[in-house]
Amino acid sequence: MRPLPDWLTDERETAALAAMLSPDSSSSLEALAAESRAITLRRFGRTMTLYAPLYLSNYCSSGCAYCGFASDRKTVRHRLEPDEIRRELAAMKKLGISDILLLTGERTAAADFDYLRKSVEIAAQEMQRVSVEAFPMSVSEYHALADCGCTGITIYQETYNRERYEALHRWGPKKDFIDRLETPARALEGGIKSVGLGVLLGLSDPVEDALSLYRHLRHLGRRYWRAGMSLSFPRMRPQTGGYEPPFPVDDHLLARMIFGFRIALPDTELVLSTRESATYRDGMSGLGITRMSIESRTTVGGYHDTDKKEKGQFEIFDDRTAKEFCAALRKNNIEPVFKNWEPSYNGPSTEGNNATIHSLEAKPCH
Amino acid sequence: MDSLQLGSYTFSSRLILGTGKFSNATVMLEAVRASGAQLVTIALRRFNREQAEDDLFGPLSAIEGITLMPNTSGASTAAEAVRAAHIARELSGSPFIKVEIHPNPQHLMPDPIETFEAARILAKEGFLVMPYITADPVLAKRLEEVGCASVMPLGSAIGSGQGVATAAMIEIIIRESGIPVIVDAGLRSPSEAAHAMEMGCGAVLVNSAVAVAGNPPEMAEAFAEAVSAGRKAFRAGLMQKSGSAIATSPLTTFLGTY
Repeated sequence: MRPLPDWLTDERETAALAAMLSPDSSSSLEALAAESRAITLRRFGRTMTLYAPLYLSNYCSSGCAYCGFASDRKTVRHRLEPDEIRRELAAMKKLGISDILLLTGERTAAADFDYLRKSVEIAAQEMQRVSVEAFPMSVSEYHALADCGCTGITIYQETYNRERYEALHRWGPKKDFIDRLETPARALEGGIKSVGLGVLLGLSDPVEDALSLYRHLRHLGRRYWRAGMSLSFPRMRPQTGGYEPPFPVDDHLLARMIFGFRIALPDTELVLSTRESATYRDGMSGLGITRMSIESRTTVGGYHDTDKKEKGQFEIFDDRTAKEFCAALRKNNIEPVFKNWEPSYNGPSTEGNNATIHSLEAKPCH
Repeated sequence: MDSLQLGSYTFSSRLILGTGKFSNATVMLEAVRASGAQLVTIALRRFNREQAEDDLFGPLSAIEGITLMPNTSGASTAAEAVRAAHIARELSGSPFIKVEIHPNPQHLMPDPIETFEAARILAKEGFLVMPYITADPVLAKRLEEVGCASVMPLGSAIGSGQGVATAAMIEIIIRESGIPVIVDAGLRSPSEAAHAMEMGCGAVLVNSAVAVAGNPPEMAEAFAEAVSAGRKAFRAGLMQKSGSAIATSPLTTFLGTY
């Protein structure tokens, strides 16, 4: 069994954040909120960047105990074909969406790398910004995705507690804790411009997980200095399959985490999805969160044919339309931003090549 | 008349406004009007040709008396910035391009190497290149040599509100420069803008300080007044700060009387 990397357990790195997240912290939630709000306003202004997820496929090869799409669930499996993807994208564009996250399960023959690459290619023709949340890939696969217009990879460790991780991921390729941990680095090595990290709150001790998440992000930031970074705070929702999270995170602790991360990482994009309620999301706008999903469907497709009765991966909490959601943002004096990227910036970053270092290396003499 | 000359363009206002971070386009436009700015920058990534409600370019181009300066914010290499500049010129018709290349999207510090390369290419192609740079006097001269219309050193990090933290370096840049020096980023208050102008900057660029103010149009106006006061003071010639105190035991008696 490969050992844990040193950076993952370096407590000095997280001393300041730990003090803010501790249940007996001397900082009141209100004081943290005020500081978090001031930092967010200065650095990000009165704006919120919006994106929407599109589930391409719910085939899966892994047995994650908590997931509605795990390979032992009796869910109907299918994937979107190119024409269906185009129809979904057209329906999403009608809602104003131009920043999209494509999702699949763990790698299967039905939804493999070639399928994903082709889907990214189609999406990049229609959308201004395309990110992917799918299975771990190799450096060269990530490079090929970046070439097709994928700029971001979201890959959650789910939990940084190795024992819990191994118990929850019962079978399949996702079972390898260290491989999962190394995936964001491979994505950046392959030229993906930004990575989204996160833990699935509820699976293990949330404060421990949050601190490890911070260390992971700082480790990547030092090693890949060009990397864009975002962090998400997904709390377990009622899942298809009925998993009950053993470490539920209440509203106050989640808020403390968001504020603490904003204070510790003033420049990092913080994401809050439709897993949270309308009230919670509205309350958090302007206080630290800078990116939110809208109009989410967790079924495969679901934008073109809105009457589908099938079950998604998990239940959406904030099910407002884009219009309703934007109205609430505006009421909060925050501008919804649909397009915050320019496709002419697409393509692999030079991160993987380490261009400068290579060019400075001594050339052999002849 | 005391005007700002950038290429063949002449501006009477020395306040340049950024257009991001506002709570909505209406407030942003009001702030632009109130500032009297004649040069306004807009990120190419905020041009949205498919959705008018999300687009900043359309409403800005409708204001009379405004010259738009698209910027390449979001680009992380010279190649990306050059591509973006071409698209921006095609969409906006403006010869100005603010070259903004920050490979690290967190701290947004400009990459001097990529910026120099993009500026060199774009100036050769006839753009009025306005490079956003760290306050580096040597880089500023290198950019002047390749034909930039101005240099835009940062006062402090974008959105940090730390004012002209790089004042000592900016003084050297101004002293040595043959093109206008425009302090960009970090200004929090009108007094800081006035200070930059008193130092001899050609103009200042402000965004966050106006966008997140309680009343953005009023703050824009305050900045405009401060910029013009600072400029006036620079032209009038500031009183020298007194140097070191006169020593009680004179230092030059050995010279004898003249």
